[in-house]
Amino acid sequence: MLKVGLIVNPISGMGGSVGLKGTDGNAYKRAMELGAKQVTPQRAEAALSLIKRNDIYLFVAPGKMGEDYIKKFNFKYKVVGKIDKKTTAEDTKRTAKEMMEEAIDLLVFVGGDGTARDIYDAIGISVPVVAIPSGVKMFSSVFALSPYAAAEMIDSYAKEFIEKEVLDIDEDAFRDNRLAAKLYGYLKVPKTKSLLQGGKEPSTTSKPETENKGEIARYIVENMEKDILYILGPGTTVKSIADELNVNKTLLGVDSVYNKELVGKDLNERGLIKLIKKYKKAKIIVTPIGGNGFIFGRGSKQITPGVLRLVGEDNIIIVSTAGKISKLECLRVDTGDAEVDRRLRKFVKVISGYNEETIVEVK
Amino acid sequence: MMIKLNMNENPYPPPENVLKAAKQGMNNINRYSELEHSNNLIELLASYNNISKERIILSPGSEFILREIVNIFSKDKKLIMINPTFFPALEHAAKTAKKIVKYQISPPKFKLKQKIILDELYEPTLIIIDNPNNPTGKMVLDKSFVEKILQNENVLLLADEAYYEFARHTFIDLIEKYPNLAIARTMDKAFSLAGLRLGYLIAGNYFLTELSDFPRFLPAPTISAAIEALKSYEYVNENIKRIIGERKRVEDELDKLGVEIFPGEANFILIKCKIPNLAKKLRDKGIIIKDLSIDWLDGFYRISIGLPEENDAFLLEIGNIKTSYEPFID
Repeated sequence: MLKVGLIVNPISGMGGSVGLKGTDGNAYKRAMELGAKQVTPQRAEAALSLIKRNDIYLFVAPGKMGEDYIKKFNFKYKVVGKIDKKTTAEDTKRTAKEMMEEAIDLLVFVGGDGTARDIYDAIGISVPVVAIPSGVKMFSSVFALSPYAAAEMIDSYAKEFIEKEVLDIDEDAFRDNRLAAKLYGYLKVPKTKSLLQGGKEPSTTSKPETENKGEIARYIVENMEKDILYILGPGTTVKSIADELNVNKTLLGVDSVYNKELVGKDLNERGLIKLIKKYKKAKIIVTPIGGNGFIFGRGSKQITPGVLRLVGEDNIIIVSTAGKISKLECLRVDTGDAEVDRRLRKFVKVISGYNEETIVEVK
Repeated sequence: MMIKLNMNENPYPPPENVLKAAKQGMNNINRYSELEHSNNLIELLASYNNISKERIILSPGSEFILREIVNIFSKDKKLIMINPTFFPALEHAAKTAKKIVKYQISPPKFKLKQKIILDELYEPTLIIIDNPNNPTGKMVLDKSFVEKILQNENVLLLADEAYYEFARHTFIDLIEKYPNLAIARTMDKAFSLAGLRLGYLIAGNYFLTELSDFPRFLPAPTISAAIEALKSYEYVNENIKRIIGERKRVEDELDKLGVEIFPGEANFILIKCKIPNLAKKLRDKGIIIKDLSIDWLDGFYRISIGLPEENDAFLLEIGNIKTSYEPFID
């Protein structure tokens, strides 16, 4: 029996049809005033109707956060938690935690970036998730391509997982036509594995991710130069470099090391500029966001065009596991500064293993 | 019975005389195959390729000699490859090469920027590139680019021309001029001998010297069948024409169905399709294609050209799948 939690954010995606770019915070009230209609029920039902396996026991959130959409199907289920008429992010977080106590194998949620963020806050990477997209903003790579793809992931669930990014867009800035994002965290999703492998063609990226990250970290640390400030961007690949240095790095923040010692933690633009000026020479180590390939402009807003100008485009070290880089058509930048973007757009070498580089274009 | 469109094999079996020769090769399998027999095959391959027989080194499948080349020639060198590629010895290369550089080719054109590669050639380097490339089917090298590479004496180039008979582009005429060039070929594909594994290397002088002691003994049935297949070139050529014709037909039909295709020059087609797990859905219908999203880009699949009726079955099923699932794809 596969124990599956289900949480639906009933207001997710409502902003889109009325020209709002999300329903976080006060934007929901505005969406209602503008006559926005719910879109999540259809998305949730589409996914549920396509699930083929019959060994699922559902743990569902009450009413419009889950239970309402499953009654027409034949799932065995139990309702978890309580909600009021008006639901908030807190309901999502609390219910997810309560589902954890039921020892669920997998949590399915329907929503957008905001919902993914709430789920991350509540459960981190302790339980794998399948994320059904219904939000207005869909920057996080954690989402399945469609309700159909989500159903496939549930059907073919096997105990092999990969981490995917949850990106948090600053919605106030977004509605003001500024795109400011930061990497908010990671969720664990089932790796959908084809049953077709075999035969003589070997994989070029067969190395396990953790081993690959360790090799990259070792290579970077062995080649770190003296008297240079290294600015470490967010993400697990960069964190593995800090681990190799025995430095306690924030997973999602931007930190700095100098001569292998931590000299700045969770830095903002001002903090970074201060350090660059103090230590004179600096290099930035970043990893692309899986799925879309952004190295700057999404996920690491602390590294601003101002910081990039000071450091210089030749002092950027990009690291990525071979598996992640192989799944990207290109790398991307969108710093908000056309001149900085232009300088960054070129062919670069990404460190993808010990003594291994991958040449890829930044667009 | 499954329809196999995932291994880039030739759907047509070899002709009767080749099968008969393979069986005859079984007669003395308590003995090692005779050197004279191998030499006979080498002479026929030399004549087929219009090259001197001293340049040909036989191998049980081309990946065996590819691996040997990595083993011998990547030591203390930079190894440049493209990604994606069919390359069986990467894990091994990581242990011997000084550094591995992979150039990622991207859709829709999958082109190599020559300057980026040429700028890398400042130190001893081994380049291994399949041309046409598998799985894109694209020619990533051309003659003038290859000459620019080979003019660097520190650089060795191995071009894998496994699909030469379909693409008809080769650098064989550069082999006398450049000692640092080698070309890998196979009789697995166009000659319908995948199950007998006959690969060979056409080696420039530098490679030749280092590989002079490469073992020459192949199984007798393999040698007998290969000799006969080279004598049946009309049959082989007819199959190549049929496969290329079918490739064009399948491309056109896929295009009509609205599937994104990336035309190539080998015996397979690269497609992009948003339907999740397309390969599994086709497998459920008895058709096996190659799902490239496991290690490469999501939504990319490679379909080998089969017999006309196999291709029809594939087209019918992919059409049905598209109709049923398209409403759910955003």
